[in-house]
Amino acid sequence: MDVPRTVATALEDQPVAGTRCLEAGAGAGNATAGLLANGAARVYAVTDDRDHARTTRRRVGGGNGGGDDGDRLAVLEADLRAVPLPDESVEFVTAHGLCNVLDPASLSAVAEELSRVAAPGARLVVDDYDPVPDGAAIGELFAVENAASELARGRPALTFYPSSFLRRFFAGHGWEFERERTLLEPVPWTESHVAAHADLAAETAAEHPGEAGDALAATARRLEGEIGSESVGRMYSLAFRLPG
Amino acid sequence: METRPLGGTGHDSSVMTFGAIALNWLEQEGANQLVEHVLDYGVNHFDVAPTYGDAELKLGPKLRQHREEIFLGCKTQERTYEGAWRKLDRSLNRLGVDTIDLYQVHGLEYDEELDAITGDDGALAAFREAKEQGLIDHIGLTSHGQPDLILDALERIDDLESVMFPLNPVVAGKDDDEYDYEAVLARADERDVGTLGIKAFAGGSWPPTDELPEADRPFANWYRPVTAPDEIRERFDFAAAQGLTSVVSAGDPKLVTMILEAAADYDGMDEAAQRSLMERVRHDDSPVPEQLHH
Repeated sequence: MDVPRTVATALEDQPVAGTRCLEAGAGAGNATAGLLANGAARVYAVTDDRDHARTTRRRVGGGNGGGDDGDRLAVLEADLRAVPLPDESVEFVTAHGLCNVLDPASLSAVAEELSRVAAPGARLVVDDYDPVPDGAAIGELFAVENAASELARGRPALTFYPSSFLRRFFAGHGWEFERERTLLEPVPWTESHVAAHADLAAETAAEHPGEAGDALAATARRLEGEIGSESVGRMYSLAFRLPG
Repeated sequence: METRPLGGTGHDSSVMTFGAIALNWLEQEGANQLVEHVLDYGVNHFDVAPTYGDAELKLGPKLRQHREEIFLGCKTQERTYEGAWRKLDRSLNRLGVDTIDLYQVHGLEYDEELDAITGDDGALAAFREAKEQGLIDHIGLTSHGQPDLILDALERIDDLESVMFPLNPVVAGKDDDEYDYEAVLARADERDVGTLGIKAFAGGSWPPTDELPEADRPFANWYRPVTAPDEIRERFDFAAAQGLTSVVSAGDPKLVTMILEAAADYDGMDEAAQRSLMERVRHDDSPVPEQLHH
């Protein structure tokens, strides 16, 4: 598969070759593909989402763990707050588009785990989005997604942490900051992204039956049509190193 | 309009090249007006071919009037010595000029064609004779084919002074060798060969003809072009920012003014914005549904 430019740009100045890697939050396997393309010795792609695990295996592993990269890839279905890897067992960690789906409590727990499994001298690359600028149409859809999630699950679906926040946050977990670069500006929220977020908002709203859930689902659908696509905001990449 | 050196030719080409196939779709009066319009914006590099309907004939009058202002590129699909001479004579006659500044091997697609044009009885032998006789000044090559083939051509043709090939955010976003036109750009730069970008404004293929008959297509391009002014502008900026000498305008006259405006305003495109555009077209084109992130 093609490695997205976001991932390629985030990894281009990083010594990935020959390292044991953890992709924290595999999503569609984008960072896993980048790590393998850059010569990772082994990649553990961890996700708690069965569909994401399947997608990553299919796109990157070439099927059920087979294919060219199959022997270097292990897709693990697990909660990132309890990563099924030993202490100090990986040399490279990516969190590509992960932090925005973690509320502050989860972010803290995940950061503890990433720091635990990272060996001394390990690298960490965190790619995420600055908060959406005021007045952006896509911000309304994210607000509906968050409202539905708060009602149904008692926590937000999305939290966009400023780069300065995550920089200090991971420094607080012992990671030495190395560099920041801009991956995308503006961020292209395409029709497929907007549809995916609207679907998620509507599905989440359906978990909270009744007037409020129905209204949020309907609003998500309306916004999907109204927004179409929008290019706005910034996606950034932070690189850190663990001393040692 | 910004100009850039066309390799080692000694000519500085405007960052936009006028694709004169656009004249084919106009009556003579409209063609004359379009040439004046393009020149008003500072475009100094034109590209035409005998296969573009009667574009050569329609370019002729204004080309002759403004001959000194126009660096004229023309090309031939002939692969043999005889054929290339015949087509060159024909183009000179149809254009009504004494010389062509850049004469190009048109649309090289297969390895056998590269063997043919470089052979003793090949088209390049005719190009070189014509150059000695002062009928053409420089030799170029155009291809929509595999980047490897163009790289081979750069190796094998010592007197090649320009290459024309596709470059846009769709192909730039693909990693496979069959789309690696960035390698062509890099090699051409190393060898001081000029680079002309085509398909900068391609949005995708036309629907199959049983869904949309050719006669119902709203644009004359081979491909479905992007057509909104903002899209045209970012496509132009992207292509020019890759470091091409010049970006060839799309073949439909309805798009030319928008491209001229974009070219006249060009002042670079930062890398995050280039990635933003590649990412957007990658998702438009992606078989993976439902991605929340980039």
